[in-house]
Amino acid sequence: METIAFKPSAPLSLGVELELQLVNTRDCDLTRAASDMLALIEKEPHAGDIKPEITESMIEVSTGVHSRHDALLAELRQIRTTVVAAADRLNVRVAGGGAHPFQHWSDRRIFDRPRFQNISQLYGYLAKQFTVFGQHIHVGCADGDDALYLLHAMSRYLPQFIALSASSPYYQGVDTAFDSSRLNAVFAFPLSGRAPFALKWSEFTTYVERMNASGIVESMKDFYWDVRPKPEFGTIEVRVCDTPLTVERAAALAAYAQALCRWLLVERPDRISEDNYLAYTYNRFQACRFGLEGEIVDPAAGVRRTIAEDVAATLQSVAMHARELECEEPLQLLGRIAREGNDARWMREAFADAGSLADLVWQQGERFRAG
Amino acid sequence: MSELFFLPSWPPGADALPWYALLLLVAAIAGELARRWLHLPRLFGWIVVGVLLGPRVSGVLTERMLEEMRGMLDVAIGVVLFQLGQRVDLGWLRRNPWLLATSVLESALAFAAMFGVLLLIEMRPLLAALAAAIGVATGPAVALSLTREGRAQGQVTERMLLLTSLNCVYAFVAVNILLAWLHQEYSNDWLSIFGHPLYLIFGSLALALLFALVTLVLITLLGRRAEAQYIAVVALVVTAVYAASALKLSGVLVLLGYGVMARAFDVRRRFASLSFGHLGQILLVLLFAISAATLDLDLLSVGALAGAVLVAARYVGKAIGVFALAPASGLSMRKASLLSLTLMPMSGVALILVHDTTALFPGLGSALASVVVSAIVMLELLGPAAAYFALVRAGEVDETGRT
Repeated sequence: METIAFKPSAPLSLGVELELQLVNTRDCDLTRAASDMLALIEKEPHAGDIKPEITESMIEVSTGVHSRHDALLAELRQIRTTVVAAADRLNVRVAGGGAHPFQHWSDRRIFDRPRFQNISQLYGYLAKQFTVFGQHIHVGCADGDDALYLLHAMSRYLPQFIALSASSPYYQGVDTAFDSSRLNAVFAFPLSGRAPFALKWSEFTTYVERMNASGIVESMKDFYWDVRPKPEFGTIEVRVCDTPLTVERAAALAAYAQALCRWLLVERPDRISEDNYLAYTYNRFQACRFGLEGEIVDPAAGVRRTIAEDVAATLQSVAMHARELECEEPLQLLGRIAREGNDARWMREAFADAGSLADLVWQQGERFRAG
Repeated sequence: MSELFFLPSWPPGADALPWYALLLLVAAIAGELARRWLHLPRLFGWIVVGVLLGPRVSGVLTERMLEEMRGMLDVAIGVVLFQLGQRVDLGWLRRNPWLLATSVLESALAFAAMFGVLLLIEMRPLLAALAAAIGVATGPAVALSLTREGRAQGQVTERMLLLTSLNCVYAFVAVNILLAWLHQEYSNDWLSIFGHPLYLIFGSLALALLFALVTLVLITLLGRRAEAQYIAVVALVVTAVYAASALKLSGVLVLLGYGVMARAFDVRRRFASLSFGHLGQILLVLLFAISAATLDLDLLSVGALAGAVLVAARYVGKAIGVFALAPASGLSMRKASLLSLTLMPMSGVALILVHDTTALFPGLGSALASVVVSAIVMLELLGPAAAYFALVRAGEVDETGRT
């Protein structure tokens, strides 16, 4: 294995990947449509990058690199329009949401590509259970050391991202009681969780090389960490978010990551050490299970508060940086979500009103189309 | 009294029920064998058993028994058409109007091609037109059965189901227009010339609408209890089959329309996940076996040539129609060629249309039957084989073979 070089990129530049659900129009179950849709989309030039994912009922869309929130949102909207138009012609619906509410994992088929087939063979039912839909946010970093600093500094704030984006309360036909059940599916993988504590890029590459030499991993792609460096892009990749129900929320979450990283880089508010991870899995569980009402512990400050309160406090701290980055508006949206409820809450209300999970998925499709 | 009075009499009564059970059992076993040994869909086993047990091969099932089974056959095809209707999304035609164009074109070209070649082999124009109109319809049971068994999903599957339901409707309307024309040769009674087809078409649609609305109201009243909903819908579908027959309306149009409307008006999707499950499967087995048993193989001796040209012309017409509008409707040429194969099966609806025509014009019936039934016999295994091959090649079938 070659030494992993961190390719520098414009600090605080942004990119977003969204995994989207493809459902039929009859009972709104996941349906095999990815290759048909991609064939249709590839015929004409379009914004963003649209790719197959591990199953035929999922596509992944990704934006280019942006420095500002408004351009990112504009591109996401264009991509949304392209995808929805293709889906309309093929009688398929596209929806956000971290997991399909009632699909049965044994019904899923694995996309016909060697890498995906290998994953399927290695992980068995986990690969099919892994039909979950996440948002990945890339933030550009000047060098590997900055990337590692941000990676570990961000870990304290990940519960906020989990709770703000949570949109997978239903899984395999039942209310899981979790706001984000999707992350439970991710946990099952042996290489999920957090990155090892290393603040120097050289230390980090030594770790990866040792894992590689011992035959545990082939490349960085095999780590399913909550935040991982992406040296070939020169970014850190935040992977804890469920795909929100609208692209507007996806862009807002990216803007929040950007403002937060700017604050962390410029003001260096927290001292970074292994101690940051004392309450990590506890806080993460609270965020998945209770969403914004979850109570997290800040071991450094020794305080305990709800995630909604934590979001409000952090939004205060980063306000100046949001102004610099011209992303106050999306951050206001997140403040409103923290006060009024996330997508998981909306989904529970919509289900109570509609009475069927099929109708809930239908409404998710309507929201994706409109937002 | 015989001294052996204590032994049961043989044959065991004329009661139809044990024969259904026997047919079902043998066909189900043959279906599993087809699945396990030949890796083919189960319907091949069902069809072969039907033919073998039928009056023209082994004679285990006599003409009279088959006549008695006719009621079950009607219910079975009714349930198939209802389910097919449920899978049709009228909104898709609005979002992709080229699909509607494709369906009109493939039906029109298939009709023209069949009509043309039948004229070439010097068939009477009216007869040729009737045979061509009947040939427009793709077998709905094959489409549904292959989709269910293979749990097929994807563009070829979805379009096969859509085009099949639409061309069944076109075939029905075309046949009735021709029959109206035929009326006019025999009589000058304008009321029967125009009245009959209008009554059939609009009466059937009105009955379908009535059943759809009743179903949706009932489902709302019964609430979220899946079992109660299921029983109510099964009862209503069977009632619709008999209501259509009692009112002398078209079972095909009523049941298809019922399925389509029940879905279209179900704005809250209360009804969306209803499936006929094991009952649907039992009815499919009986449908394939009984209708294969009724096929008059002897007609091949008179109708083979006409049947063969009909089959060929029909495929060419449908394929050109599908190919011509494939790019506009968002389908690759490879999938268009597979889609055209899925439109080959011909069965249930065509038999019903022959039956209806014969009932009205017995003189015409036998000549028409020799052509159409010959074509159906030729396509009985070839059609499903082509369709199955197409769905597999399109990668839309789950080959683990669970239902």
